[in-house]
Amino acid sequence: MFSQLLVNALIAASIYLVVAAGISLAYSVTRFFHFAHAAVIACGAYSVFVLHVWVGLPLSISALIAAPLGGAVGLALELLIYRPLRRKAAGPLVLLLASIGAYVVLQNVMSLAFGDASRSIRPTSVQEGLPFLGARITCVQLISIAVALALLIILLTAFVRTRWGKMARAVMSDPELASVSGINVDGVILWVSFVASMLAATGGILQSLDVDMTPTMGMTALLAGVVAAVVGGIGRLPGVVLGAIFLALAQHLSTWIISTQWQDAIAFAILLAFLIFRPEGFMGKKVRETTV
Amino acid sequence: MMLEIRKLDTGYGKKQVLFGLSMEVRNGEIVAIIGPNGAGKSTVLKAVCGLIPAWNGRMCFDGTTTNGSTPAQNVARGITFAPQGNRVFAGLNVMENLQIGGFQVPRKELRGRIAQVLDVFPVLKDRAKQDAGNLSGGEQQMLALARALIARPKLLMLDEPSLGLSPNLVRSVFGKIVEINRDTGVSILIVEQKVREVLRVCNRVYSLKLGKLAYDGTPEELRDDKGKLKELFL
Ligand SMILES: Nc1ncnc2c1ncn2[C@@H]1O[C@H](COP(=O)(O)OP(=O)(O)OP(=O)(O)O)[C@@H](O)[C@H]1O
Ligand SMILES: [Mg+2]
Repeated sequence: MFSQLLVNALIAASIYLVVAAGISLAYSVTRFFHFAHAAVIACGAYSVFVLHVWVGLPLSISALIAAPLGGAVGLALELLIYRPLRRKAAGPLVLLLASIGAYVVLQNVMSLAFGDASRSIRPTSVQEGLPFLGARITCVQLISIAVALALLIILLTAFVRTRWGKMARAVMSDPELASVSGINVDGVILWVSFVASMLAATGGILQSLDVDMTPTMGMTALLAGVVAAVVGGIGRLPGVVLGAIFLALAQHLSTWIISTQWQDAIAFAILLAFLIFRPEGFMGKKVRETTV
Repeated sequence: MMLEIRKLDTGYGKKQVLFGLSMEVRNGEIVAIIGPNGAGKSTVLKAVCGLIPAWNGRMCFDGTTTNGSTPAQNVARGITFAPQGNRVFAGLNVMENLQIGGFQVPRKELRGRIAQVLDVFPVLKDRAKQDAGNLSGGEQQMLALARALIARPKLLMLDEPSLGLSPNLVRSVFGKIVEINRDTGVSILIVEQKVREVLRVCNRVYSLKLGKLAYDGTPEELRDDKGKLKELFL
């Protein structure tokens, strides 16, 4: 029983990890909280649903197409909403409100298109699962853990090694200085939005492999992602791993004691505790106020 | 003429900060802008590098009108800028900061350029892998200067490079600035509060007051006229 809880936590952590990495990335370059990520998460899941169930493509191909589709949604949001607002010198609060608006619109579009009832892409026959540390884990679950880890490693390597990664880190550190160094900051924000949204959509896809999807599924995943990102230290990708595992363990191990309905409450409690006592997260450094 | 500003009006949002400002920097010159806090000194540099748009008037760099250019375009033309506050990319190490400074430099050349600039700033050489956020204030200023030099600018703009430095370090930063100007012939436009020090190194000086030109002349005139200097800062 205990090892099964651990395995479940690991699977949850892999989904949180992907979502949190996207949130952390988007926040670090744009300095506002992308609420609409919740819709992008659901977009990822429903894209797979359309491609796999309606069009009839294999699940793997559907997922490979759905992830960049989610990225494209993020791209569109940036181009149509956030960038024009930023040009008008809108602050983070205005951008957050716009993002909430975008979420509501997108979520309603999905409700209209697919209905509010849950949809599923999971195989109808129940899978037995492979024995793993005295628990059972299905092939799909193993793949989702592997995908999450692989994405994170690729992301981290790209950030440290590549020219693009350095550009993105420069923009995160000081957008104005990046701009006067000759970096096209709007361009960086654009492709980071794409990558971040692709991660969000991937989170949605992974989740839909495990549970049924609804148009509002993104909210819970977003909350988990935010908690993992805050716990890990926002903008710190390695910290996000710790944050995701921490949250998943807390949620799943607590089901020993209390009912699973309390999982969101636990996530919120952790979020509040960290915001109050350690806002910089596990790994984050105290934010240094920039001078003048 | 390296830089020519004619009747420039600009500001932030609806607030006008500069009123009909005209000034120029000739080839190889060090030109200082002085003036009290809030006079609009930094705003001049931000307008020239393209961070804020000109509302009226004309800016001309090396024969090309630069009104409406982006900062990236201006860097490509040869204008680099070290903004106020000794800013570096914290979270990136010293080497990466320099690589970002040479962002538009062809990859093959970049390594050589960095080595050259590091020769001018030996303190940075030992700290190549250190996070720029953890450097001392003086080291950060050196890095800010070095970063702005990698692109081999024709016009280097510095906003209060002496900010927060001890008197000794101020002298060594100004020493570096003169050395760079002498060795590379780069024109330098420098905003400075430490008037006495900057008057010692510049060829010409402008003083701003409430967004308008209050003085335009040589440092010698100003050094000898204590009354005038006081008046400019009142
Ligand atoms: N980003 C901004 N948004 C709005 N107003 C600004 C902004 N930056 C500067 N200002 C205003 O423009 C005016 C000139 O500012 P500027 O920074 O050019 O002054 P300065 O001469 O550089 O002063 P200091 O010596 O303190 O650096 C000030 O009144 C300031 O309040
Ligand atoms: Mg200033």
